[in-house]
Amino acid sequence: MAAYVLRRLGVAVCLLFVLSVITFLMYSQIPANPAGFVIDLQHASRAQIAEVDHELGVDRPIWVQYEKFVVRALHGDLGLSWNGIQFSYLGTASGVPVGPLVWHAAKVTASVVVGGFVLLLAIALPLGAFVATRPRGAADRLSLGLSLAAISTHPLVVGLLLQLFAGNRWHLAPPSGYCPLVPPSAAAKAEAARQGSELCGGPLAWASHLVLPWITFALFFVALYLRMTRARMMEVLDEPYVRTARAKGGSELRVVVRHALRNAISPIVTMVGMDAGMAVGIAVYVETVFALPGLGRTTIQALQGFSGYDLPVIVGVVLVTAVAIILLNLLVDLALYAIDPTIARRGRKALASAARAA
Amino acid sequence: MSSEVTVVTGYDALEREELRPLGPWAVAWRRLRRDRVALVSGAVFLAILFAVTAGGPIVSALVGHGPNDPFPYAVGSTLRPVGPWTHVWDTFQAPATGLNEIGLPPPPKGTGKTLFVLGADGPLGRDELLRLLYGGRVSLLVAIGATLLALAIGTILGAAAGYLGGAVDAVVSRFTDLVMAFPYLLFIVMIGSTVDGISGWTLHGALNEGVLQLMVLIGAFTWFYPARIVRTRMQQLRGAEFVDAAAMTGARDARIVRTHLLPHVVPPLLVYATLAVATNVMLEVGVTFLGAGVHLPTSSWGSLLAQTWGTLLNPNPYNPATTQPWLTILPSLAIFLTVFSLNQLGEGMREALDPRGGR
Repeated sequence: MAAYVLRRLGVAVCLLFVLSVITFLMYSQIPANPAGFVIDLQHASRAQIAEVDHELGVDRPIWVQYEKFVVRALHGDLGLSWNGIQFSYLGTASGVPVGPLVWHAAKVTASVVVGGFVLLLAIALPLGAFVATRPRGAADRLSLGLSLAAISTHPLVVGLLLQLFAGNRWHLAPPSGYCPLVPPSAAAKAEAARQGSELCGGPLAWASHLVLPWITFALFFVALYLRMTRARMMEVLDEPYVRTARAKGGSELRVVVRHALRNAISPIVTMVGMDAGMAVGIAVYVETVFALPGLGRTTIQALQGFSGYDLPVIVGVVLVTAVAIILLNLLVDLALYAIDPTIARRGRKALASAARAA
Repeated sequence: MSSEVTVVTGYDALEREELRPLGPWAVAWRRLRRDRVALVSGAVFLAILFAVTAGGPIVSALVGHGPNDPFPYAVGSTLRPVGPWTHVWDTFQAPATGLNEIGLPPPPKGTGKTLFVLGADGPLGRDELLRLLYGGRVSLLVAIGATLLALAIGTILGAAAGYLGGAVDAVVSRFTDLVMAFPYLLFIVMIGSTVDGISGWTLHGALNEGVLQLMVLIGAFTWFYPARIVRTRMQQLRGAEFVDAAAMTGARDARIVRTHLLPHVVPPLLVYATLAVATNVMLEVGVTFLGAGVHLPTSSWGSLLAQTWGTLLNPNPYNPATTQPWLTILPSLAIFLTVFSLNQLGEGMREALDPRGGR
């Protein structure tokens, strides 16, 4: 097991390295004027621009920049955002550090993705197990048809409709915005009140603001997971050990949940890991519609700022997202091992291909 | 009257339809013909395809204006576009006297009227139906082009990895893992909104601006799926007897792959391609909505949605006074029908092409 985890960690580190190199190379090829973040390019002399370029470090060769970036990143420092960066006369820079900026955004995106997956599994697993016991029945056809309609509707459209009707017209949930899970401190609240605004927070406010985003997210994936659960359950329910469990006199619920679902679940867990990249994409749509300050919005702000793209923020977002996806996959591997310890020997590839073939 | 005895020989029986053995494609087609859902889906998709390719110019010729022509009289006094089936004054110019409270003063005498079948698209007063049709052309062009590109890259890399194995396989597989771990929507948005290099490429006017760039970006990030399909099939078939037989007759690797192995990956790739076009339509809509896709004034289904709802940084709260619900419903419906019919067709094809299925 330790060897298995170590091997996967090694692959993950290599992936991260290549990913950061590619991002760096890509952006070194895109012409831009980072000096524009600091001075007014129209009224600056060439010498001034060159000086700012030097202070930002973008006049050095790309590998020197990359080396500096890696060394700093290994110390947990992702540098300063170019947007709003300032230099004192001594040349020390001050501004918004990328790490916390991306961290705050990542928490929002993680709330959407994790909560969305939980809701999705809470719908797909019981429903899939239920319809598998009554294949081709009314519930089966209805749930399949509805979930197919859901996957064929663009998440943007689903989100916009939910926001317009459930949020703005019927006031079932807040239509947009985000509240942190941890409630703000009294001092922060007083400070905000002094400035004439109000801070929200706390588990209840957090969840209520995220209900519509979670539904939007879950609706997109529910068809895939429902179908997968149904197919696997139908397979497993035919197995001899299920017959044995029934013969022993276990209740139907106990047979389906304890004996069948437990054995059907591993390819579904694998699917969660494989869909992580796509989930981040769907989260971007969801953030867009519900005005959540997540990674998607951070990225687009960094790309469409007044002075051009904000490279440190972009690299930060890419790295944090990639680390999250890799960690999630590692977690999935560990969960699979917990469900079925023979997995380390059989390997995950076989499971993944079984998941997609079904 | 002479009595005739008909002798049915084995050869004659083979000539007759029912006894001739069916090829795999004929079997698949027979199964598909019995699958009513798949047939209807296929017909719907073909109809959409026809509407967005030939329908645009036909409607344009019938109503007498183009998709990018602005009609000031197609917009109400609160900038609310006119609804479906409205006749508006056929002029691009508002009179110089300008707006008053009621709206525009009447146009000069002798101006005709022109029909807006589905109403106007927004404050500029362009024909929604035409923008929908021409926008669908752009969306489907991006989706199909990107799918073909992904198929080409994926087939080549997958075939190389699966057939050659060894070091080639190791390199390609790691590369595939890498691309799979990419949050590709973020990447497409990142590159799409910063790189302007190829957004102006139109292949001498054959494509609209931004179309080729989007095709290349989507294709470049989605080839890993066909690559995995092809690689797995190639690995399974590499040791098959017919491959050994071909090698023994002196066929070289390239020929074995091309004429003996590739036909085996066509069915799964066909199913993949059908489903991928659906996914790519969604992706085009999303990327354009996020401001990194097809540029205005070219319409696409994504930009039609974005026009009503604003983009990420310029959100545009829905205001019934200045917009029509049609402007959300119509593009959404177009996207839904396309994606739904392609998904159903893909599923039908998967079942029809399954070698384990019955006749």
